[in-house]
Amino acid sequence: MLGFRCIVGDAVRGGGRLLRNLPPVQSRSVRLLPPPHLPQLTHTCLLSKGPNASVSSAKLKLRTRLAVTLLLGGGVLAVWRYVYLEKQQNLRRQRVEQLRRVALGQGSFSLLDHRGQRRTKKDFLGGWLLLYFGFTHCPDICPDELDKLSAVVSALDRDASLPPVQPVFITVDPERDDAPALARYVKDFHPRLIALTGSPEEVKHAGRDYRVYASAGPKDEDGDYIVDHSILIYLVSPDGLFLDYYNRMKSEEQITQSVRSHILHHETLEL
Amino acid sequence: MTAPNSAERKACWDSRDLLWKCLDDNGDKTASCEKFQGEFEANCPAQWVKYFMKRRDFLKYKEKMQTEGFTPAEGPRQPS
Repeated sequence: MLGFRCIVGDAVRGGGRLLRNLPPVQSRSVRLLPPPHLPQLTHTCLLSKGPNASVSSAKLKLRTRLAVTLLLGGGVLAVWRYVYLEKQQNLRRQRVEQLRRVALGQGSFSLLDHRGQRRTKKDFLGGWLLLYFGFTHCPDICPDELDKLSAVVSALDRDASLPPVQPVFITVDPERDDAPALARYVKDFHPRLIALTGSPEEVKHAGRDYRVYASAGPKDEDGDYIVDHSILIYLVSPDGLFLDYYNRMKSEEQITQSVRSHILHHETLEL
Repeated sequence: MTAPNSAERKACWDSRDLLWKCLDDNGDKTASCEKFQGEFEANCPAQWVKYFMKRRDFLKYKEKMQTEGFTPAEGPRQPS
Protein backbone atom coordinates (compact mmCIF):
# COMPACT_ATOMS: atom_id res chain seq x y z
CA MET A 1 0.00 0.00 0.00
CA LEU A 2 2.93 2.28 0.74
CA GLY A 3 4.38 1.73 -2.68
CA PHE A 4 0.95 2.29 -4.11
CA ARG A 5 0.64 5.71 -2.55
CA CYS A 6 4.12 6.52 -3.67
CA ILE A 7 3.25 5.89 -7.31
CA VAL A 8 0.06 7.89 -7.12
CA GLY A 9 1.88 10.71 -5.38
CA ASP A 10 4.54 10.73 -8.05
CA ALA A 11 2.05 10.75 -10.83
CA VAL A 12 0.43 13.81 -9.32
CA ARG A 13 3.40 15.78 -8.07
CA GLY A 14 6.31 15.02 -10.26
CA GLY A 15 5.45 12.47 -12.88
CA GLY A 16 7.86 14.25 -15.15
CA ARG A 17 10.75 13.53 -12.90
CA LEU A 18 9.99 9.86 -12.98
CA LEU A 19 9.64 9.92 -16.73
CA ARG A 20 12.81 11.78 -17.37
CA ASN A 21 14.54 9.20 -15.28
CA LEU A 22 13.58 6.40 -17.61
CA PRO A 23 15.67 5.77 -20.70
CA PRO A 24 13.62 6.48 -23.87
CA VAL A 25 13.72 2.93 -25.24
CA GLN A 26 12.50 1.41 -22.05
CA SER A 27 9.63 3.81 -21.52
CA ARG A 28 8.28 3.15 -24.99
CA SER A 29 7.97 -0.50 -24.13
CA VAL A 30 6.35 0.00 -20.74
CA ARG A 31 3.48 -2.44 -20.34
CA LEU A 32 0.54 -2.32 -18.01
CA LEU A 33 1.89 -4.13 -15.02
CA PRO A 34 -0.47 -6.45 -13.14
CA PRO A 35 -0.72 -6.05 -9.32
CA PRO A 36 1.97 -8.68 -8.46
CA HIS A 37 4.58 -6.46 -10.17
CA LEU A 38 3.89 -3.58 -7.83
CA PRO A 39 7.03 -4.03 -5.72
CA GLN A 40 9.10 -3.51 -8.84
CA LEU A 41 7.36 -0.19 -9.48
CA THR A 42 7.98 0.81 -5.92
CA HIS A 43 11.61 0.22 -6.54
CA THR A 44 11.64 2.58 -9.52
CA CYS A 45 9.75 5.09 -7.48
CA LEU A 46 12.34 5.03 -4.72
CA LEU A 47 15.13 5.36 -7.25
CA SER A 48 13.54 8.44 -8.74
CA LYS A 49 13.99 10.16 -5.42
CA GLY A 50 17.69 9.40 -5.43
CA PRO A 51 20.45 11.69 -6.66
CA ASN A 52 20.12 10.24 -10.18
CA ALA A 53 16.88 12.15 -10.68
CA SER A 54 18.50 15.52 -11.06
CA VAL A 55 21.36 14.20 -13.17
CA SER A 56 19.39 12.83 -16.05
CA SER A 57 17.59 15.47 -18.09
CA ALA A 58 16.85 13.63 -21.29
CA LYS A 59 13.68 15.03 -22.74
CA LEU A 60 10.92 12.73 -23.73
CA LYS A 61 8.25 13.36 -26.23
CA LEU A 62 4.98 14.54 -24.73
CA ARG A 63 3.21 11.61 -26.35
CA THR A 64 5.38 9.11 -24.50
CA ARG A 65 4.85 10.87 -21.20
CA LEU A 66 1.14 10.86 -21.77
CA ALA A 67 1.19 7.17 -22.65
CA VAL A 68 3.07 6.29 -19.49
CA THR A 69 0.79 8.42 -17.33
CA LEU A 70 -2.25 6.76 -18.86
CA LEU A 71 -0.78 3.33 -18.35
CA LEU A 72 0.02 4.05 -14.72
CA GLY A 73 -3.45 5.53 -14.21
CA GLY A 74 -4.99 2.50 -15.85
CA GLY A 75 -2.97 0.23 -13.58
CA VAL A 76 -4.17 2.11 -10.51
CA LEU A 77 -7.77 1.85 -11.71
CA ALA A 78 -7.36 -1.86 -12.42
CA VAL A 79 -6.05 -2.46 -8.90
CA TRP A 80 -8.85 -0.38 -7.42
CA ARG A 81 -11.42 -2.36 -9.41
CA TYR A 82 -9.85 -5.64 -8.31
CA VAL A 83 -9.95 -4.62 -4.65
CA TYR A 84 -13.54 -3.41 -5.03
CA LEU A 85 -14.75 -6.67 -6.62
CA GLU A 86 -12.90 -8.70 -4.02
CA LYS A 87 -14.64 -6.73 -1.29
CA GLN A 88 -18.07 -7.23 -2.86
CA GLN A 89 -17.45 -10.96 -3.12
CA ASN A 90 -16.39 -11.04 0.53
CA LEU A 91 -19.60 -9.29 1.54
CA ARG A 92 -21.64 -11.86 -0.36
CA ARG A 93 -19.69 -14.69 1.27
CA GLN A 94 -20.37 -13.18 4.68
CA ARG A 95 -24.07 -12.89 3.85
CA VAL A 96 -24.26 -16.56 2.88
CA GLU A 97 -22.50 -17.45 6.14
CA GLN A 98 -25.05 -15.40 8.09
CA LEU A 99 -27.94 -16.96 6.18
CA ARG A 100 -26.64 -20.39 7.08
CA ARG A 101 -27.02 -19.49 10.71
CA VAL A 102 -30.48 -17.95 10.26
CA ALA A 103 -33.19 -20.19 11.66
CA LEU A 104 -35.24 -20.01 8.49
CA GLY A 105 -35.77 -22.70 5.89
CA GLN A 106 -33.12 -24.90 7.51
CA GLY A 107 -35.25 -27.96 7.99
CA SER A 108 -36.61 -30.38 5.45
CA PHE A 109 -40.09 -31.16 4.21
CA SER A 110 -41.77 -34.26 2.83
CA LEU A 111 -44.97 -33.57 0.92
CA LEU A 112 -47.10 -34.93 -1.92
CA ASP A 113 -47.08 -33.12 -5.24
CA HIS A 114 -50.18 -32.53 -7.38
CA ARG A 115 -49.48 -35.79 -9.25
CA GLY A 116 -49.50 -37.73 -5.99
CA GLN A 117 -45.74 -38.27 -5.81
CA ARG A 118 -43.83 -37.77 -2.60
CA ARG A 119 -41.34 -34.91 -2.74
CA THR A 120 -38.80 -33.90 -0.14
CA LYS A 121 -36.70 -30.78 0.06
CA LYS A 122 -33.69 -32.91 -0.92
CA ASP A 123 -35.29 -33.60 -4.33
CA PHE A 124 -35.11 -29.89 -5.09
CA LEU A 125 -31.45 -29.39 -4.11
CA GLY A 126 -29.21 -28.28 -6.94
CA GLY A 127 -31.76 -25.95 -8.48
CA TRP A 128 -33.24 -22.55 -7.71
CA LEU A 129 -36.68 -22.45 -6.07
CA LEU A 130 -39.33 -19.79 -5.72
CA LEU A 131 -41.68 -20.86 -2.94
CA TYR A 132 -45.14 -19.54 -2.24
CA PHE A 133 -47.62 -20.62 0.45
CA GLY A 134 -51.37 -20.25 -0.17
CA PHE A 135 -54.62 -22.14 -0.77
CA THR A 136 -56.81 -22.85 -3.79
CA HIS A 137 -59.99 -21.27 -2.37
CA CYS A 138 -58.10 -18.00 -1.97
CA PRO A 139 -60.22 -15.08 -3.27
CA ASP A 140 -57.70 -12.73 -4.83
CA ILE A 141 -54.27 -12.53 -3.27
CA CYS A 142 -52.98 -16.06 -3.99
CA PRO A 143 -53.98 -16.05 -7.68
CA ASP A 144 -52.42 -12.58 -8.03
CA GLU A 145 -49.19 -13.67 -6.39
CA LEU A 146 -49.05 -16.93 -8.35
CA ASP A 147 -49.63 -14.98 -11.58
CA LYS A 148 -46.75 -12.73 -10.60
CA LEU A 149 -44.57 -15.71 -9.68
CA SER A 150 -45.37 -17.37 -13.04
CA ALA A 151 -44.51 -14.17 -14.92
CA VAL A 152 -41.18 -13.91 -13.05
CA VAL A 153 -40.27 -17.51 -13.91
CA SER A 154 -41.26 -16.98 -17.56
CA ALA A 155 -39.13 -13.83 -17.72
CA LEU A 156 -36.15 -15.73 -16.26
CA ASP A 157 -36.81 -18.62 -18.68
CA ARG A 158 -36.30 -16.21 -21.58
CA ASP A 159 -32.74 -15.54 -20.42
CA ALA A 160 -30.84 -18.52 -21.79
CA SER A 161 -27.78 -17.78 -19.63
CA LEU A 162 -29.73 -18.54 -16.43
CA PRO A 163 -30.54 -21.98 -15.05
CA PRO A 164 -34.27 -22.80 -14.83
CA VAL A 165 -36.02 -21.61 -11.67
CA GLN A 166 -38.57 -24.00 -10.19
CA PRO A 167 -41.83 -22.42 -8.97
CA VAL A 168 -43.37 -24.25 -6.00
CA PHE A 169 -46.75 -23.70 -4.35
CA ILE A 170 -47.31 -25.18 -0.88
CA THR A 171 -50.86 -25.24 0.44
CA VAL A 172 -51.74 -24.00 3.92
CA ASP A 173 -55.16 -25.69 3.62
CA PRO A 174 -54.46 -29.45 3.44
CA GLU A 175 -58.04 -30.21 4.52
CA ARG A 176 -59.43 -29.15 1.12
CA ASP A 177 -56.34 -29.02 -1.07
CA ASP A 178 -55.65 -32.64 -1.95
CA ALA A 179 -53.57 -33.67 -4.97
CA PRO A 180 -56.50 -33.58 -7.48
CA ALA A 181 -57.58 -30.11 -6.26
CA LEU A 182 -54.00 -28.87 -6.69
CA ALA A 183 -53.75 -30.53 -10.12
CA ARG A 184 -56.77 -28.51 -11.26
CA TYR A 185 -55.35 -25.34 -9.74
CA VAL A 186 -51.81 -25.44 -11.19
CA LYS A 187 -53.19 -25.56 -14.75
CA ASP A 188 -53.93 -21.83 -14.51
CA PHE A 189 -50.30 -20.89 -13.84
CA HIS A 190 -46.75 -21.58 -15.03
CA PRO A 191 -46.50 -25.01 -16.75
CA ARG A 192 -43.62 -26.03 -14.45
CA LEU A 193 -45.42 -25.04 -11.25
CA ILE A 194 -45.36 -27.85 -8.67
CA ALA A 195 -48.02 -27.76 -5.96
CA LEU A 196 -47.45 -29.60 -2.68
CA THR A 197 -49.78 -30.85 0.01
CA GLY A 198 -49.76 -33.50 2.73
CA SER A 199 -51.18 -34.34 6.11
CA PRO A 200 -52.00 -31.32 8.31
CA GLU A 201 -48.87 -32.10 10.36
CA GLU A 202 -46.60 -32.32 7.32
CA VAL A 203 -47.95 -29.07 5.91
CA LYS A 204 -47.66 -27.32 9.25
CA HIS A 205 -44.08 -28.52 9.59
CA ALA A 206 -43.13 -27.22 6.12
CA GLY A 207 -44.75 -23.85 6.88
CA ARG A 208 -43.20 -23.51 10.32
CA ASP A 209 -39.78 -23.85 8.78
CA TYR A 210 -40.43 -20.63 6.82
CA ARG A 211 -42.26 -18.92 9.69
CA VAL A 212 -45.49 -19.03 7.71
CA TYR A 213 -48.54 -17.90 9.63
CA ALA A 214 -51.83 -19.56 8.60
CA SER A 215 -55.15 -19.53 10.40
CA ALA A 216 -58.44 -20.88 9.01
CA GLY A 217 -61.44 -18.60 9.49
CA PRO A 218 -64.92 -19.72 10.65
CA LYS A 219 -66.83 -22.10 8.37
CA ASP A 220 -70.12 -20.98 6.86
CA GLU A 221 -73.19 -23.20 6.21
CA ASP A 222 -71.54 -24.64 3.03
CA GLY A 223 -68.45 -25.57 5.03
CA ASP A 224 -66.52 -22.92 3.11
CA TYR A 225 -63.88 -20.83 4.85
CA ILE A 226 -61.03 -18.43 4.13
CA VAL A 227 -57.52 -19.07 5.41
CA ASP A 228 -55.68 -16.01 6.61
CA HIS A 229 -51.98 -16.46 5.93
CA SER A 230 -48.68 -14.66 5.40
CA ILE A 231 -48.01 -13.60 1.83
CA LEU A 232 -44.35 -13.99 0.91
CA ILE A 233 -42.44 -15.46 -1.97
CA TYR A 234 -39.20 -17.14 -0.84
CA LEU A 235 -36.07 -17.59 -2.93
CA VAL A 236 -34.16 -20.78 -2.11
CA SER A 237 -30.65 -21.38 -3.49
CA PRO A 238 -29.37 -24.68 -4.96
CA ASP A 239 -27.81 -25.34 -1.54
CA GLY A 240 -31.31 -25.39 -0.06
CA LEU A 241 -30.60 -22.12 1.69
CA PHE A 242 -33.19 -19.36 2.11
CA LEU A 243 -31.70 -16.34 0.28
CA ASP A 244 -34.36 -13.67 -0.07
CA TYR A 245 -38.09 -13.01 0.16
CA TYR A 246 -40.52 -10.79 -1.72
CA ASN A 247 -43.70 -9.29 -0.33
CA ARG A 248 -46.81 -8.11 -2.17
CA MET A 249 -45.37 -4.66 -2.81
CA LYS A 250 -42.60 -6.07 -4.99
CA SER A 251 -43.39 -5.92 -8.70
CA GLU A 252 -42.75 -8.64 -11.23
CA GLU A 253 -39.79 -6.65 -12.60
CA GLN A 254 -38.25 -6.09 -9.17
CA ILE A 255 -38.44 -9.77 -8.27
CA THR A 256 -37.04 -10.85 -11.66
CA GLN A 257 -34.14 -8.42 -11.28
CA SER A 258 -33.39 -9.55 -7.74
CA VAL A 259 -33.52 -13.28 -8.56
CA ARG A 260 -31.30 -12.76 -11.62
CA SER A 261 -28.74 -10.89 -9.55
CA HIS A 262 -28.78 -13.59 -6.86
CA ILE A 263 -28.20 -16.29 -9.49
CA LEU A 264 -25.37 -14.41 -11.22
CA HIS A 265 -23.53 -13.70 -7.97
CA HIS A 266 -24.11 -17.05 -6.40
CA GLU A 267 -21.17 -19.07 -5.19
CA THR A 268 -21.76 -22.72 -4.48
CA LEU A 269 -20.95 -23.49 -0.89
CA GLU A 270 -18.51 -26.16 0.03
CA LEU A 271 -20.73 -28.43 2.03
CA MET B 1 -66.71 -28.13 -2.87
CA THR B 2 -64.08 -27.42 -5.50
CA ALA B 3 -62.29 -24.12 -5.69
CA PRO B 4 -63.27 -21.75 -8.53
CA ASN B 5 -61.16 -22.17 -11.65
CA SER B 6 -59.52 -19.38 -13.54
CA ALA B 7 -62.64 -18.55 -15.65
CA GLU B 8 -64.87 -18.56 -12.57
CA ARG B 9 -62.43 -16.37 -10.68
CA LYS B 10 -62.41 -13.90 -13.54
CA ALA B 11 -66.23 -13.84 -13.71
CA CYS B 12 -66.34 -13.19 -9.95
CA TRP B 13 -63.74 -10.41 -10.06
CA ASP B 14 -65.44 -8.74 -13.05
CA SER B 15 -68.83 -8.63 -11.32
CA ARG B 16 -67.12 -7.41 -8.14
CA ASP B 17 -65.50 -4.55 -10.06
CA LEU B 18 -68.86 -3.60 -11.62
CA LEU B 19 -70.53 -3.56 -8.21
CA TRP B 20 -67.72 -1.53 -6.63
CA LYS B 21 -67.89 0.99 -9.46
CA CYS B 22 -71.65 1.28 -9.06
CA LEU B 23 -71.29 1.81 -5.30
CA ASP B 24 -68.60 4.44 -5.90
CA ASP B 25 -70.80 6.26 -8.42
CA ASN B 26 -73.89 6.16 -6.20
CA GLY B 27 -72.37 7.22 -2.92
CA ASP B 28 -72.47 3.67 -1.49
CA LYS B 29 -76.29 3.44 -1.76
CA THR B 30 -76.88 -0.32 -2.06
CA ALA B 31 -80.46 0.22 -3.29
CA SER B 32 -79.18 1.65 -6.60
CA CYS B 33 -76.87 -1.33 -7.20
CA GLU B 34 -79.11 -4.27 -6.48
CA LYS B 35 -78.68 -5.65 -9.99
CA PHE B 36 -74.88 -5.71 -9.62
CA GLN B 37 -75.12 -7.04 -6.10
CA GLY B 38 -77.21 -9.98 -7.38
CA GLU B 39 -74.71 -10.76 -10.16
CA PHE B 40 -71.80 -10.45 -7.76
CA GLU B 41 -73.40 -12.93 -5.36
CA ALA B 42 -74.26 -15.29 -8.22
CA ASN B 43 -70.70 -15.30 -9.58
CA CYS B 44 -68.74 -15.57 -6.35
CA PRO B 45 -68.74 -18.12 -3.53
CA ALA B 46 -70.50 -16.81 -0.42
CA GLN B 47 -67.21 -16.59 1.49
CA TRP B 48 -65.68 -14.47 -1.23
CA VAL B 49 -68.71 -12.12 -1.18
CA LYS B 50 -68.13 -11.53 2.53
CA TYR B 51 -64.39 -11.22 2.03
CA PHE B 52 -64.64 -8.71 -0.81
CA MET B 53 -67.18 -6.52 1.03
CA LYS B 54 -64.79 -6.34 4.00
CA ARG B 55 -61.91 -5.76 1.64
CA ARG B 56 -63.72 -2.80 0.04
CA ASP B 57 -64.22 -1.24 3.48
CA PHE B 58 -60.57 -1.76 4.24
CA LEU B 59 -59.40 -0.27 0.92
CA LYS B 60 -61.69 2.75 1.45
CA TYR B 61 -60.31 3.22 4.94
CA LYS B 62 -56.75 2.90 3.67
CA GLU B 63 -57.41 5.47 0.95
CA LYS B 64 -58.89 7.85 3.51
CA MET B 65 -55.83 7.45 5.70
CA GLN B 66 -53.55 8.14 2.77
CA THR B 67 -55.38 11.19 1.45
CA GLU B 68 -56.73 12.79 4.62
CA GLY B 69 -54.31 11.44 7.15
CA PHE B 70 -55.02 10.09 10.58
CA THR B 71 -56.93 12.21 13.08
CA PRO B 72 -56.40 10.87 16.56
CA ALA B 73 -59.52 10.51 18.64
CA GLU B 74 -59.95 13.02 21.42
CA GLY B 75 -58.39 11.61 24.54
CA PRO B 76 -60.13 11.40 27.88
CA ARG B 77 -61.00 14.77 29.24
CA GLN B 78 -58.64 16.20 31.78
CA PRO B 79 -60.10 15.99 35.25
CA SER B 80 -61.18 19.48 36.15
